[in-house]
Amino acid sequence: MLSGLLKRFTGQKKKSKDEAKKRLQFSLIYDKLEVNDTTLTDLQNDIVDVISKYFEIDKESLELKVKRDDNVSALVFNTPILHVRRKQA
Amino acid sequence: MEGKIIVVTSGKGGVGKTTATSSIGAALALEGNRVAIVDMDIGLRNLDVVMGLENRIVFNIVDVVLGRCKIEQAAIRDRRIDNLFLIPASQSDNKDVLTTAGVERVAKELVKQFDYVIMDSPAGIERGFENSIVGASEALVVCTPDVSAVRDADRVIGILYSRSLVPKLIVNRIEPARVRRGEMLSHEDVMEVLSIELAGLVPMDDKVLISSNTGTPLVLQNDSKAGQAYKRIARRLNGESNVPFEVPTDKASMWSKIGKTFGLKQ
Repeated sequence: MLSGLLKRFTGQKKKSKDEAKKRLQFSLIYDKLEVNDTTLTDLQNDIVDVISKYFEIDKESLELKVKRDDNVSALVFNTPILHVRRKQA
Repeated sequence: MEGKIIVVTSGKGGVGKTTATSSIGAALALEGNRVAIVDMDIGLRNLDVVMGLENRIVFNIVDVVLGRCKIEQAAIRDRRIDNLFLIPASQSDNKDVLTTAGVERVAKELVKQFDYVIMDSPAGIERGFENSIVGASEALVVCTPDVSAVRDADRVIGILYSRSLVPKLIVNRIEPARVRRGEMLSHEDVMEVLSIELAGLVPMDDKVLISSNTGTPLVLQNDSKAGQAYKRIARRLNGESNVPFEVPTDKASMWSKIGKTFGLKQ
């Protein structure tokens, strides 16, 4: 219609479906990254086992988090190191 | 030769799963196949009213699975379309009354008696859904072009993949005018977001409600665009390889036609 033609000349209005598509694409990725608590705990225990082979760490103050930014998701593991273990031959 | 079990799912309710199931089943029967449509929505049966067979129910799928009757006793024959049968859901039983093993046993029996068995899955991803996909060799996911239906479809597609089923997509209730105005996701958008192959495109059609009002098969109405779309989907399922995907269109308005002529509209 006439208003449609006018819009052509004055610059297109933002389409709501484009926003829907973008939001969907993001949420579907995040849905799949959702990790349940048991998986996270198991993962934490495994990581602690591996690190403990090389370092003595403070098991009380460590934390494991899934950090989300606009573009990337990262697994962040934070732990204070107390001692370095001597390697046994 | 054994028949095929096709499950129709969606995740989200109210996207047209029941209409899709009954229409595809009816269209496959019109193509000359012996078809059983099974309502797996235990406790919330609807296929019987949509198909206009609600007055003829004697036994249901729960009776069959629990061994209270034979398949032949529960299958209601449609009087308008040859070789079309409905096995209704139970309305009184608890939705968790069926076991997956029980359904699987009946499924194996069904494929011996029918060319196609169409399972209408309940909304959601609980036991009822799991029961309706057991034994299926093909899966159809019905989705409308809105954010909640697409997200739920994605979840269901993921579960189907984990059961070694590669589903195909039916985009339902497409409104061409709104797609053109950018108010509605196009079928390409939905396919891209879900990265899935297409089974068919179904336009929004007022005839769907009217045909369910009277319990008459949509595919028998030649003036129903949705009905015709489901007929094409059935032909594809039936092995015809060159059935074109017709993208729903509306009659373009005079102004947009003029705009097109002058290269103002894509």
